[in-house]
Amino acid sequence: MRSFFQAVVSGLVTGSLYALMTVGMTLIYGTLRTLNMALGAMVLVGGYVSWMLFSGLGWGPLAGLAGAAAVTFAFGVVIQQVAVRPLIGKTGVDFEMTAFISTFAVAIVFANVALEIYGARNKAVPPVVEGRLHLIEGVSVSWHQVVMAGVAIVMLVALGIFLSKTRYGLGISAVAQQLDAARLMGIPVQRVYNLTMGVSSALAGIAGVLLASVFFVSPNAGDLPLLKALIVAIFGGLGSVRGTIVAAYIIGLLEAMISLYFGVKWSLPVLFVVIMIVLLIRPTGLFGKPEEARL
Amino acid sequence: MASVAHETRASVGRLMGWRSPNAFAVGALLIAAAALPLIWRNDYVIDVALTALIWMVLNQSWNLQLGIGGIWNFGQLAIFAIGGYVAGLVSLRWGIDPWLALVMGGSASALVSAVIAIPVLRLRGIYASLLTFSFAEVVRLLVISDESGLTGGSFGLSGIPGLAFEGLAPDAKQRAYYWIALGLVVVTAVFIYVFIHSPLGTALKALRDSPAYAASRGVSPMKMQVITFATSAFIAGVAGAFYAQYYGTISPSVMGLGPLSLFVAMLVVGGLGTFWGPMLGTALIMVVSEALRDLEEARLIVVGLILLLTIVLAPRGLVPLLQQGWARLQLWMAEDSVPEDGPGEDVPEDQPAPQQEGSR
Repeated sequence: MRSFFQAVVSGLVTGSLYALMTVGMTLIYGTLRTLNMALGAMVLVGGYVSWMLFSGLGWGPLAGLAGAAAVTFAFGVVIQQVAVRPLIGKTGVDFEMTAFISTFAVAIVFANVALEIYGARNKAVPPVVEGRLHLIEGVSVSWHQVVMAGVAIVMLVALGIFLSKTRYGLGISAVAQQLDAARLMGIPVQRVYNLTMGVSSALAGIAGVLLASVFFVSPNAGDLPLLKALIVAIFGGLGSVRGTIVAAYIIGLLEAMISLYFGVKWSLPVLFVVIMIVLLIRPTGLFGKPEEARL
Repeated sequence: MASVAHETRASVGRLMGWRSPNAFAVGALLIAAAALPLIWRNDYVIDVALTALIWMVLNQSWNLQLGIGGIWNFGQLAIFAIGGYVAGLVSLRWGIDPWLALVMGGSASALVSAVIAIPVLRLRGIYASLLTFSFAEVVRLLVISDESGLTGGSFGLSGIPGLAFEGLAPDAKQRAYYWIALGLVVVTAVFIYVFIHSPLGTALKALRDSPAYAASRGVSPMKMQVITFATSAFIAGVAGAFYAQYYGTISPSVMGLGPLSLFVAMLVVGGLGTFWGPMLGTALIMVVSEALRDLEEARLIVVGLILLLTIVLAPRGLVPLLQQGWARLQLWMAEDSVPEDGPGEDVPEDQPAPQQEGSR
């Protein structure tokens, strides 16, 4: 029973992180109809920024969070301008396909530039806080994990408020719901696109900082988070922000349970089988909506 | 009857704007390719060219799904690897003849892919790419973490028996492999050419361009998808098996993001959905990647940038661009010769064409 609770706790922590990564993916897909493969690269950038702030200036991980968010926000806007914007409205090609490939190309460039600059060796980043929190007898969680989950949840709540209460957030929702109507209402669509890419990339960058001290930072540190985000995205469906968050927690818990009862090795294959089954029953994921209605 | 059918085919071909390939150019290209190992007697060059030929087979098979079928399959590398592993395993474990193993590798890939095709069928574009991509990653991670000794884990299988050229001298053996690889490329190309110009290929393109309309005209999406997945995977599996037999080894390093980016670059730079695109793209990226060999891992930065530039500036790839350029050139020559009585030899050479002026 103790190990079960332990698995639940770690499932909730990883679920929060998955939510942080995948919400960005959903947002971008909702507004831009682009599956952004460069989000994994943003996790990577976040990790390296926090490592540089730590090893170069001796600043702690909290400075890393802010620094990584700022840097990845800027990168997100640049990626939007360089890799996605020129493709919008090109005739004769499928925009979703070309944007998928162009962001994929960006991800390749980032991973290999990181390899070139920092080398293949793992960089260690210290946790935000040391020590462990004992919940009940035999079930404990490191304070860093608590902070991870806490930061993720705060970011998600802030995102929710941003999307539903602020002018720019409402602009994002409007563009996602009906592009032409949003344009007619005078919403600056290009600015909304930039903002969406920036915010999503910043969320991924923050996830990168949080992950950096659990795993290490290395040039392929973005691959596994990207894969997990893709799995959550298919499972939940790229339909709604809320659905994505729920899906992230389900996947996090499922993964923890599989690791507990079958071993870590089986977590991906079993997840894959689960997803196959979900897709066979619901082709647009658990909460995905058909083409017409999104976000 | 037959000639009537043939004539209708030909006229349909003209209507649809299918170019018949220039027999002379294709023949010259083939002869040049076949003569390469005899003229350029350099082991390394032949090895690179041979690898390029294997990649051409793989990319052609992939293009059938990704470009012509419009099915977002990003798991083709896993299918390639499955072909290699199965061929290697059956000949290592059961001593099966390598030629038969080649076919068995292809069949195993076709089987796996046909099974994958069914859930993918229900998904729209982006979800199909997610599913196939994560399928490939799971295959890769499973092989890497395999401790049963079956696949050799991250080191891969080694000592896979090659095709039966043991009696030959090393350079003659390499040439034999080269010509077989060239043969595979030609057979694949002919097959794909026939396939995309057959009713099956037309149905596949119709499904890509307008699924609802194609289905309402009696094209079965299920049947088409399973056929496409299975044939494309068979080709990829044979390529994988051949790869394993030539190098004598196969490891999980043929899968993953690095190789995937290389192959996607090849397909996109050449031109997705075009007949010549995969071959041109493979050749170009191989040449670039060999020219930058001293940069080692950093060449992927260059490949990534080339991919990004291509998709942003010419999203349909180089082949349509070249075809457009060629058509414009012919149009320009035809325009010039019309007002003159004779052929356009009176036109001063240094006079710029109006189109060129306008396009700047």
